[in-house]
Amino acid sequence: MKRMFGLTITTLSLAGLLLVGCSSNATEDELKQLEDLKAEVTSLENELASKQSELDNMKKMIAEKDAQLKKCADDKAAAEKALKGM
Amino acid sequence: MKVMIRTLLISVLAMVLTVGLLAQEMPKEEWQNQMNELTAKRDDLQAKLSEVEKAIEEAKTMLDEKNSALKECNDELMALVGEYEASLNAIDSKLTSLAGLSNQALLERKGELDEVATMIATAKTNPLAKVPKYASRLTEFERRLEALRKALEGAAMTYTVGTWAKDRDCLWNIAKKPKIYDNAFLWPKIWQANRSDIKNPDIIHPGQKLTVPPKAPLTPEEKSAVREYWRNKGQ
Repeated sequence: MKRMFGLTITTLSLAGLLLVGCSSNATEDELKQLEDLKAEVTSLENELASKQSELDNMKKMIAEKDAQLKKCADDKAAAEKALKGM
Repeated sequence: MKVMIRTLLISVLAMVLTVGLLAQEMPKEEWQNQMNELTAKRDDLQAKLSEVEKAIEEAKTMLDEKNSALKECNDELMALVGEYEASLNAIDSKLTSLAGLSNQALLERKGELDEVATMIATAKTNPLAKVPKYASRLTEFERRLEALRKALEGAAMTYTVGTWAKDRDCLWNIAKKPKIYDNAFLWPKIWQANRSDIKNPDIIHPGQKLTVPPKAPLTPEEKSAVREYWRNKGQ
C-alpha cells in the first residue's frame, strides 16, 4: 500500500515537472511585441476606416460636380439654341 | 495513514498550481501563430491604406478638374444669360416685396403692378424666354402678378378728410386726387361706400375716415344715387 502510494506521488511529481519543464513559453519581450503588433493593427484599421470615409465623401462630391456640370452644359446648350434662333 | 493523505493533498495542490501557472502563460507556438496572423493582417491593412491614399489623391485631382470645368461652364453660361437672369431676379424681388404688403399698402403702390407687368412683357420678348426654365419662371411671375391684382380688386383704401381751408376736401376733390381715382366723376363711389357716415354728400367733416373702393366705373346703384342727389338738389 505504502509502495503504491509512493509510486503515485512520484509519478504525479514527475509529470508536473515534465509539464513545467518541457513547455516553452513566450518571453515578456515577445508578449510585448505581440501587444504592440495588436495595437498597430487596431490603429491601422481605424486609419483605414477614416481614409475610406474621406474617399467616399470625395466620390460623392465628384458625383455632385458631375450633376452640376451636366446641368450647366444643358443650360448653356439651351441658351445657345435660343439665341441662335434670334 | 494521515501522513500519506496529507502528502497526497499537497501533491494534488502543487499540480493544480502548476497547471494554473501554465494556463496564464503563452506557449511559444501560439505566440508565433498570433504574430504571423497579425503580421499578415498588418501588411494587408498597410497595402489597403496605401491604395486608399492613392485613390484619395486621384479623387482630389479629379475634383479640382471638375471644379475648374464647372467654373468655366458657369462663366460661359453667365456671359450668355447673366443679364437676362438679373432682369428676372429683379422681377422676382419686386413681386416678393409687393406680395409682402397689406392690401392697403398694395393699393398705395398699385402703379408698381403695372411696372412689373411691363417688366414681364419685356422679358418675354427676349429670345431666352423660350428656354424652358426661363419660360416657366415667367409663367410663375404672371401667376403671382395676377394673384396680386386679385388681392387689389378686393382691397379698399381709406382716406382721412382734411380741412377745406387747407386741403379743399370734398368728395369731388377727393375723387379727383391722382392717388384716389384721378377722376372727379367717380365721387359717388366714395359716397356710396360710406353711406352710413355720409347722409349728405355735400357735407363731410375733417378727420372723417372714408373707405375708398377700388377704381371702377360707377355701378347702376351708384348712378341711381347720383340721379337722386341731383333731383333732390334741384328741388
